[in-house]
Amino acid sequence: MGNHGHRPTEWPIRSRERQMASAARTLARSRIHSLVRIPRAPPPAPLHHRRLFSAEAVAHPTNRVQIYLSRSHDPYLNLSFEHYLLQKSHPDSVVLLLYANRPCVVIGRNQNPWLEVGLGALNQPALLAPPVGRAGGVSMGDDADDADALGVQLVRRRSGGGTVFHDLGNVNYSVLCPPAAFDRDRHALMVVRALQSLGVSAARVNERHDIVLADEQDASATFKVSGSAYKLTRLRSLHHGTCLLSTPNLDSVGRFLRSPAAPYMKARGVDSVRSRIRNVGVANAAFEEAVVAEFGAMYGNVDVEIVATRDIKGIPDVMRGYEELISLDWIYTQTPQFTFSTRPTEDDPRPRPPLPDYLPKDFDLSITARHGQITEATGAGIETSALDSVYLHKVSDWRPLIGKSAGSWLNVMFGARPYDRT
Amino acid sequence: MAASIATRCLRATRAPYSLFKLAQAAPVARPSTRFPLSAFRTFSTTPLREIRKYTKDHEWVDLSADKTSGVIGISEYAAEELGDVVYVELPEEGKAVQAGDAIGAVESVKSAADINAPIACRVTSVNMLLEEKPGTINQVPEDDSHGGGWIAKVAVDEAGVKDFENLMDAEEYKAFTGSEE
Repeated sequence: MGNHGHRPTEWPIRSRERQMASAARTLARSRIHSLVRIPRAPPPAPLHHRRLFSAEAVAHPTNRVQIYLSRSHDPYLNLSFEHYLLQKSHPDSVVLLLYANRPCVVIGRNQNPWLEVGLGALNQPALLAPPVGRAGGVSMGDDADDADALGVQLVRRRSGGGTVFHDLGNVNYSVLCPPAAFDRDRHALMVVRALQSLGVSAARVNERHDIVLADEQDASATFKVSGSAYKLTRLRSLHHGTCLLSTPNLDSVGRFLRSPAAPYMKARGVDSVRSRIRNVGVANAAFEEAVVAEFGAMYGNVDVEIVATRDIKGIPDVMRGYEELISLDWIYTQTPQFTFSTRPTEDDPRPRPPLPDYLPKDFDLSITARHGQITEATGAGIETSALDSVYLHKVSDWRPLIGKSAGSWLNVMFGARPYDRT
Repeated sequence: MAASIATRCLRATRAPYSLFKLAQAAPVARPSTRFPLSAFRTFSTTPLREIRKYTKDHEWVDLSADKTSGVIGISEYAAEELGDVVYVELPEEGKAVQAGDAIGAVESVKSAADINAPIACRVTSVNMLLEEKPGTINQVPEDDSHGGGWIAKVAVDEAGVKDFENLMDAEEYKAFTGSEE
């Protein structure tokens, strides 16, 4: 399974053109396509000639099947657009949305960022590999800030499930449908068929509704390439999933998805399940085209609507959702209650890792936080009264609150800046 | 295992949808509410007892005899269909909502599912036990006592009572979910 390389972004390809496309793909793979003349279907119209996005059309009852490709790489904007489609698309319609986000860590609705995420690693752009060139098959985005070294953004989505890493080598698919048609595996299987059409025959859906590839070295083991999450409302169901195609950041993902505070924390809410991951090794455009084709085979073929960032930003409802998603309140204070304790407790008797030498000998700290706000703090070797009612995410430096050494340590634990311990 | 979960989900979610369709025909198809109500009274030993009704979205609501307060939860059917509940997002105390508004959510098997207000009401207290032991929802979803899986206690006004009258009683709900099997 190699990278298909220079596939032009000539999608969407309607079903009647698909056979031709498939032939062309085979030839492209054999790298002799330039030498061979094959009969061609009329070339697809350039993207900017495609049907323009219309907010009114989303809700129109005649639009039973809708397919959108977002050109934005902003995770908050894409999730807000997705939520808008969930709320506004006709209750009987089936909608596919495809998008890729710039580097971000996305936690589930009921998760704890201090437990799930290496918050301190997120703001270190140096941990990220340089973005893959456009020739690598990454779909073109139209966000002005694509190239900026933003580091990794932290996002809390509205659906359930665990924490994942996204970058432009990962394509997200989401399918909205009436709850009657909802099935946790149905659209994961759709994506498996898409992968199989691209030659990834080993792809399958496992018991966690994830898409995995067999480990060639070890028949009993698998690599996860795609994870799923769901949101169910009264009239609609949403299934969205990731698909790791060609991220250059596989080696760093562990840094982003591992919190130094985890051994000390016990949290209500939802824990992530760790899985080994790998890239599928196909280009974004090829994957997108294959998913569109499988979706079309299930529900009927329609034109893909290319949605520009400015189209999305022009929808007031989307922007209201966007404001909520980027708010620190949503990202941090939606966190279920948790405790952080440096020593084993009745509730959390796990042995704790040894504390660093720079902490006072008798150091002990126990914090309970609700909605990201400390409701109780007790300790030894430090004065904890300044911690009362503190919102964890608002602290950029713990040293003024509990002293230099303990504060330095908490800066590491909770990913606050500055990191230096001096 | 995966298949059985998938099948269960399928059934879980078919119900509200088909009822959404059924609801269109309801004014014609449904008999007057007088019959089910009087039938219910024959089971009741005391007129002071709360009456429980169900929504097509699988929430239940008890209305007090004086029709000023109620208790809300999700049905046994829904609890079973959702699978293992791992977190319950409780409603906000003091919040006033209309029937059908999302007041909280339950998460199970990577799915965040809205809990909708069965009737117009104002949340007066929530079941904190569920935050600590979300599995209670799977064990005793329709228990409105201490230790039970009820979700919220609410204050009800005239609009809420009116909403309540349009809901299904236990018999109707059983028939509704039974037809989905």
